[in-house]
Amino acid sequence: MSGSDHNRWSEDLAAYMLGALTPAEVTEFERHLDGCERCREEVRWFEPALHALPESVERQEPPPRLRAALMAEARSDLGEEGRERRGLLPDWLRAGFGGRGLRLATGFAVLAFAIAAVAGYEIGKGGSDQGGGASTLVTQEHGIKVKMVREGDGGTLHLANLHQLPPDKVLEAWVRRQGTVEAVPALLVPDRKGQAETTIADMSGVDTVMVTEEPQGGSETPTGEAIVTMSVPQ
Amino acid sequence: MAVRREKAERLADEELMPLVGRKDPEAFEVLYDRHGGAAYSLAYRIVGDRAAAEEVTQEAFISVWRSGARFDAARGSVRSWLLSVVRNRAIDFLRSKAGKAPKLDFDDESVLEQRPAAERTEAEALRRETAGEVRGAIGNLPGEQAKVIELAYFGGFSHSEIAQMLQLPMGTVKGRMRLGLEKIRGELAEGLA
Repeated sequence: MSGSDHNRWSEDLAAYMLGALTPAEVTEFERHLDGCERCREEVRWFEPALHALPESVERQEPPPRLRAALMAEARSDLGEEGRERRGLLPDWLRAGFGGRGLRLATGFAVLAFAIAAVAGYEIGKGGSDQGGGASTLVTQEHGIKVKMVREGDGGTLHLANLHQLPPDKVLEAWVRRQGTVEAVPALLVPDRKGQAETTIADMSGVDTVMVTEEPQGGSETPTGEAIVTMSVPQ
Repeated sequence: MAVRREKAERLADEELMPLVGRKDPEAFEVLYDRHGGAAYSLAYRIVGDRAAAEEVTQEAFISVWRSGARFDAARGSVRSWLLSVVRNRAIDFLRSKAGKAPKLDFDDESVLEQRPAAERTEAEALRRETAGEVRGAIGNLPGEQAKVIELAYFGGFSHSEIAQMLQLPMGTVKGRMRLGLEKIRGELAEGLA
């Protein structure tokens, strides 16, 4: 390494340490750094000055809620160990599946109410001849058309305008009944037209239907964000 | 198994990090209690807004929690590393808010003005004596050197952006950065002597 070459790079050293080089310049500088002991020595010498900068700011007291939120998020991660979709489940739902059913029920109801209020739904009486006839709920969320046809004790959930899923993902439907969330056994697999449907054998007591994206094979509890949430009038 | 809080409190930062890497919430909590204030203060200094500072601090700590193993003790202290994570997050926040890199026509004085007024005063009561020394070292910098360091470190501007903003040759900007850091380093060394 010649002295003049070192001096050329040495001019950039402070800018490098202050984060003021472009990514391309950083790459170039670090390549030089690898082979220049003098520059590495200068970096080490400058480090205390750089570390002094954040210490120089006026001290602000963080709000206590920041600590609480941080620890809640960290602890919720622990509750998700082993899940494949870490971080996608809303906190309230995550907590609900941790055994605090009341919180889950409340959160679920709030979300369902919000979706119903925003998206709106219409209830139309179909012409089915099964018993008391069929009722249809229709809504739209995230561009997905949702139709729930109730017939007798059961029902069929139809989804349209679905995007194509990655090969390792499926859609899974869930129902909430008396505060308990249950998986619908048949998974939803979109066809080429972006449509999918599944049958819910027993709709008695169901007040909410939800759909999430899940790993291939489905999950025992929702791990993804709800792409559809529909409240079902009793 | 999580170490008890009392035990975690007795550990040095460097001893806490492997525990954080193993997802020990008590160790993580102690880490936050030690450095959360400095992290939040730095975030606030950069983004100039309390809600945004909270968001940045939380994101930074969660990224540490989820990738604690990335800390390399050979490259400095845990605190320095943590604060560099916070600084990077805060600068990213500023850039995403601007839609791209900070605006080139941004007047450098307005960068300083967007900080809370109290942070621009030099007579600040800092808790630790070392922090006071550090502030002194930076406060003693000639204005033109302090300005380029301010714009680079706390504003996230590149040397070429600063040159354009201040209408100076890039070599001058780099030179002032270097002189400023040298001066801070020199004063810190004197303080330790």
